[in-house]
Amino acid sequence: MESNKFIEVKDLVVEYSSDGDIIQAVNGVSFSVDRGETLGLVGETGAGKTTIAKSILRILPEPPAKVISGQILLKGKDLIQIPEKEMLSIRGNKISMIFQDPMTALNPVMSVGSQITEVVALHNNIKEEKAKHRTIEMLEMVGIPEERYVEFPHQFSGGMKQRVVIAMALACNPELLLADEPTTALDVTIQAQVLDMIKDLREKFNTAMILITHDLGIVAETCDKVGVVYAGHIVESGSKEDIFRHAAHPYTLGLFDSIPKMDDDERRLKPIDGMPPDPTNLPKGCVFAPRCKFVSGECEKGKIPIIEITPGHLCQCLLAKKEA
Amino acid sequence: MSTLLEIKNLKKYFYVPAGTNHAVDDVTMKIQKGKTMGVVGESGCGKSTLGRTIIRLLEATDGQILLNGQDITNVQGKELRKVREKMQIIFQDPYASLDPRYSMDDVISEPLKECKRYNKRYIEERVNELMDRVGIEDRLRYSYPHELDGGRRQRVGIARAIALNPEFIMCDEPVSALDVSIQAQVLNLLMDLQEENNLTYMFVTHDLSVVRHISDDISVMYLGQLVETSPAKQLFLRPLHPYTKALLSAIPSTDIDHPMNRILLRGEITSPINPAPGCRFVKRCPYATQACMEPQELKEIEKDHFVSCCRVTEIN
Repeated sequence: MESNKFIEVKDLVVEYSSDGDIIQAVNGVSFSVDRGETLGLVGETGAGKTTIAKSILRILPEPPAKVISGQILLKGKDLIQIPEKEMLSIRGNKISMIFQDPMTALNPVMSVGSQITEVVALHNNIKEEKAKHRTIEMLEMVGIPEERYVEFPHQFSGGMKQRVVIAMALACNPELLLADEPTTALDVTIQAQVLDMIKDLREKFNTAMILITHDLGIVAETCDKVGVVYAGHIVESGSKEDIFRHAAHPYTLGLFDSIPKMDDDERRLKPIDGMPPDPTNLPKGCVFAPRCKFVSGECEKGKIPIIEITPGHLCQCLLAKKEA
Repeated sequence: MSTLLEIKNLKKYFYVPAGTNHAVDDVTMKIQKGKTMGVVGESGCGKSTLGRTIIRLLEATDGQILLNGQDITNVQGKELRKVREKMQIIFQDPYASLDPRYSMDDVISEPLKECKRYNKRYIEERVNELMDRVGIEDRLRYSYPHELDGGRRQRVGIARAIALNPEFIMCDEPVSALDVSIQAQVLNLLMDLQEENNLTYMFVTHDLSVVRHISDDISVMYLGQLVETSPAKQLFLRPLHPYTKALLSAIPSTDIDHPMNRILLRGEITSPINPAPGCRFVKRCPYATQACMEPQELKEIEKDHFVSCCRVTEIN
């Protein structure tokens, strides 16, 4: 099946098994991203955002994880079906990932320079000398001077470590970059520096990017498209304007209401009542129904259809209406 | 309005092999009764150390802490226990701050048992009342921390902190480990408790939208020192210190129509070990001059708005 999208995920279902329980982490998720485009996946802890990213790279630990069904099409080729050997040449080369925690993503007993050189030499099949040259170039691009090539991760601050991780992810000019909470461990002033750098690099190399975050502010500033993830479903997706101006799903609305606003003097916040559902025992109908203010009997009966409100703006809610 | 807590020239130094870590260096502030003082700054700026020194979890190196006018900087023994009843803390990480072998009942009743004033029946009732107040279901009374989610654990931490009706609570990043929808629930609870019991808070956080929301006054810290302190609204409308300006401009905004005009800072927060005598922000400050190498003083620029920067009038 040919697809004109750069990367397209179709009906992805991922489960974990633990002590005989089945944890439904990702339940039929579909989205696509083009070159030069950034998709933001937002949602709370445990919503399944990281699992989605890891299944694209095929680095989920199997078992306990298992991709039950679905397709992950990179330029039309299904990454789930290809042999591991072929995946090796894609991983780190065409697709790479920035991990959440820079403190644990680096090898503590290897200098940061050689960690990046290793990646470059392997994927480009070149001698270490040449690869080293490229590494120094990458380090300089993220603002780390050449002298620090030989230093070890513990000699770097958190912000610098995250920049090393970014340099490593970008060293092979990936076509798709998966950034999993790339700035969560950083302070705001450093976060601003790192986000700026990611934006620059994306423009320079026309990279497609999937940015995972729980911070709606970061999404507003860096993404073109947004998917709101709740209990393993993308409950609403669309362009940034669709989500920030015309949010339709009660969960998206609740999420916006619960963040303290900078220009709002209302003292009480409007939280979403209750807790996210137990992933071993998801509600039968809409997964958000137990916390939803607008819930009706219909919501609990069965699978909720996805409605296209306006072209490209999808919402999985019975209350959503197609606009004429 | 009366002052509950007054801190004068408070210092907390740690002696490490590389030299002296000036974690809190000459901090002076007043916290009014029934109000919330927000303390913001980046990791490593000494905001948690300041809070912990104030409630006497750490010994001050120098300076004074006055609670209701009484100097509590060096009180010991029985006196200190009395002070501790009045000053409580809510910890940052609800996963690490609860003893895994203590049930919720043990956690909440411990301060009540420890003060040796109450009988069993009273404690039993008071724990009921507290759990009800912070919104923990009765069925969870004998459950252990690992059985609860982050939001509920933090509620237990709050119940423990208010058990003895303290006057002052130091909230050390109480919601930073929680998801936004749960964070809002806990912030609302803290604000309700403040109103009901006329509590005074010191709210330490790096989350600027949260601090604006909950605080009456805000102090901005940089490398152990206060650089600016002001009523909350005024600070966000008109930040005066160059660091505060950069900090506020770095908050990602959810308003897609008006993206922030960002002031990007060069470099990162420097080491608080053996700092140079001048302004500590000088290496990252776009306005730095020779005069900034001299020690800076916190001066009242507008009413209740204090700034520690010698060029403050020139640059604003």
